[in-house]
Amino acid sequence: MMNKPLIKHAAMLAVVHSIFVAPSFAAESLDEMSLEDLIRTEVTSVSRKAQSLSNVPAAAFVISSEDIRRSGAQAIPDVLRMAPGLEVAQIDNGRYAVSARGFKGRFSNKLLVLIDGRSIYLPTFSGVMWENDPIALEDIERIEVIRGAGAAAWGVNAVSGVINIISKHSRNQTNGLVVPTIATDGKNSLYARYGAQLDENTSWRLSAHGRHADPSKRATDGEKSEDHLRNAAVDMRFDKKLGAGSEFTLWANAFNARLGDSIRAEAVPGLPLTLRPFAVQPENTNQTIAGQYRWLTDRGIESSLQVSASHTITEIQGFFKENRKTYDLDYSGRYSFDRHDVLWGVSHRTSTDDILAPTFYMSFSPKNYTQRISSVSIRDDWTLIPDTLQLGLAGRWDNSNLGGHTFASNATLMWTPTRSDTFWVKHASAPRLPSRAEQSVSIYSAAQPAVPPFPAVIMRNSSDGHLKAETMKGFELGYRSQLSPSFNIDLAAYRYRYTEIVSGMAGALSFELFPLAVTQNINLQNAGKGSITGAEIAADWLLAPNWRVQLSYSWTQIAMDDSSNPLVQGAGVAYEAGTPRHYGSLRSQWNIAADQQLDAWVRGSAGYQRLNAPFTDLVKVPGYVTLDLRYARQLGKDVELAVTGRNLIGGNRTEFISDYLPSVPVKIRPSLSLSARWKF
Amino acid sequence: MSAHRLFTRLRQLVVLALCTLPVPHAHAQAMPENQLKAAFLVNFLKYVEFPPSTSSTTTICLFGGDTLGPYLASFEGRSVAGKPLRIKRVTSPDQVDDCQLLFVPYTEEARFAIALRWVENMPVLTVSDADVFVRQGGCIALANAEGRMQFDVNANALSRVGLRPGSQMMRLARQVIGARK
Repeated sequence: MMNKPLIKHAAMLAVVHSIFVAPSFAAESLDEMSLEDLIRTEVTSVSRKAQSLSNVPAAAFVISSEDIRRSGAQAIPDVLRMAPGLEVAQIDNGRYAVSARGFKGRFSNKLLVLIDGRSIYLPTFSGVMWENDPIALEDIERIEVIRGAGAAAWGVNAVSGVINIISKHSRNQTNGLVVPTIATDGKNSLYARYGAQLDENTSWRLSAHGRHADPSKRATDGEKSEDHLRNAAVDMRFDKKLGAGSEFTLWANAFNARLGDSIRAEAVPGLPLTLRPFAVQPENTNQTIAGQYRWLTDRGIESSLQVSASHTITEIQGFFKENRKTYDLDYSGRYSFDRHDVLWGVSHRTSTDDILAPTFYMSFSPKNYTQRISSVSIRDDWTLIPDTLQLGLAGRWDNSNLGGHTFASNATLMWTPTRSDTFWVKHASAPRLPSRAEQSVSIYSAAQPAVPPFPAVIMRNSSDGHLKAETMKGFELGYRSQLSPSFNIDLAAYRYRYTEIVSGMAGALSFELFPLAVTQNINLQNAGKGSITGAEIAADWLLAPNWRVQLSYSWTQIAMDDSSNPLVQGAGVAYEAGTPRHYGSLRSQWNIAADQQLDAWVRGSAGYQRLNAPFTDLVKVPGYVTLDLRYARQLGKDVELAVTGRNLIGGNRTEFISDYLPSVPVKIRPSLSLSARWKF
Repeated sequence: MSAHRLFTRLRQLVVLALCTLPVPHAHAQAMPENQLKAAFLVNFLKYVEFPPSTSSTTTICLFGGDTLGPYLASFEGRSVAGKPLRIKRVTSPDQVDDCQLLFVPYTEEARFAIALRWVENMPVLTVSDADVFVRQGGCIALANAEGRMQFDVNANALSRVGLRPGSQMMRLARQVIGARK
């Protein structure tokens, strides 16, 4: 038997050997290769073209379409789990809490999400409803995740990060594709698309996808929950090149998403106050049309004009129905001269809503509102020393009739001492606009059971409509290095300061429900403050031409300021406890043979605590480590079959306890799926 | 079993498991995609005849998001076409005067027209890794075709700016569009 030190040394040597030597070529031998040799050389089969970001002075991560396919995921948030600095927690069959760098919630209001430059961030609740499946995974070219304050470049609400989802050019989808998937727990989906090239400059694509899932089991008693999922969407893209650098793109999308919910909010008659879940039927529909025209002037100014219109109905049958129409107009320009690369933009959004809330649980005042936001932005990337030092300065001003003026700034110094190493330091500020609901809802949000002789207390949130934007300011340090052709690493550390966080202040008591309960009125104000510190690592390692391993890890710590107001203090404690300290993933992509792939993905999160909504105590959400496996085999040129197991270990866990709307926690269970991709 | 022995066993198991995993072996003729692209760029400079220039270096310029810089670093300073090779990032048209080759990555597809405008009528070999590049007036497009890196040539684009591709390069191209000279 080998002794320990020997094993240790052997393993260490193997690791060092494969990082620096194995699949890479010495420059000498590359130098001697002729063009003829090069066209014969195989490309490593697990390449990820989109990964290189060597001169982006931001904590950025790119998820390619190949990563998406190989993840075996059926929903966008499950794909996002691979990006460092993003925390993803599944709530039920379709709902997810996704946040960048802390402050995770069912509506994570500090993270902006864009699809082809259009925001899918819902202004009513300040967050993204991931259950809507706004774009099919198959139609995504890549997802760029940029952590940290991005408001100066991407707009308000890009406070702790922005997710840019970029769809495939229709030119690259000019064929037919059908992807049926069947899985345990009725998690079935179907994607189909067809596209064609009309002439050398014109192409179009039409796709449709649908997804289904049977209800999950409740975490408390194992009984069936209500999260029956039935989603359908159609999506169209048309591209036309008009010559001389001008181009036109048209998108159209319509979806219908129905995902039942079970809310812990129905009071059981009698004393003491107890709440039981009741089923609700949410249904969201949306139609969006957008056009973009890009052109180039004779002086070399690049311009882009984008116009979009969308109509959204967000409904919880019997409780809430919002009818919203949004129009966006965006112009951006770019001009490069001398050592400057200057970008500027103006945009305007008009969003009109009409909200119906017929129960006593919540009411909106006013019931309809038109929000108008206008913005102006400018950015200059200034090369101070060519190839070595670059200074980026950016500013953006927004004016909203709901939240007032905001200003976002960004100053970045990027130093590239060698071609393989990039350091950056960034100072940025970003605003988060208060949501329509925060400004105008009155809602029974939480309850404290009776502690005799005191009656139960029900909290009712409301605001006087004068909330300001939350603001964040902070520093980020980053380092990125290509240590060898087969190994690169990305490190980032940050410290941000949040002020004006929307939080509750106790107001008057009212007694309309007495003796069942006393109502504590809570007025929302910009009263919270706190700091967040964190660090992230991403590493990408090509161990062999057919084997790649990727690691991501995030460490996060929130420290909120103490407050003499018990509600602000309580919210602060919940924020501090509500972010897992450690979060990470390790993925392996192995091409066993030209026609066979085996992927493994270990991912995990430390435990944390969540408000036991609608009650005000904290409960523990345990940490977990889980494993996904996927095996895919190519059958001929046009068909691929894949078997995927997700959550194979550590299943039957709860990843999140929903806030805002206190949905019943459900069990996240192991699942097995079989999927085919047929090109024609 | 003591905790210490359990730990030792576990470690042996891990090492054993590592041994059964795929290891770098006979695939010597396979390369990371970006490394291969970098080698192509350097090679193209050897297969194209440039008009005489007073520049003391042979320069590869990188447009926009720099994807190949780290992979080109090992070639820097080597002699290519009789002059030391230099790599340079360019962010405006005022920086392209001494470029022999301009590489425009596929991530900058929306900016192909402006990139080509910057070097219009200059004897600069424009290369991209998006295959539509040659149809939009670029000289060479690299394309990953079934696990091998291939390239397409737009012969008109080369001759328009006075570049003469070697016959061997034309022969090895996957596709040549425009008239051969």
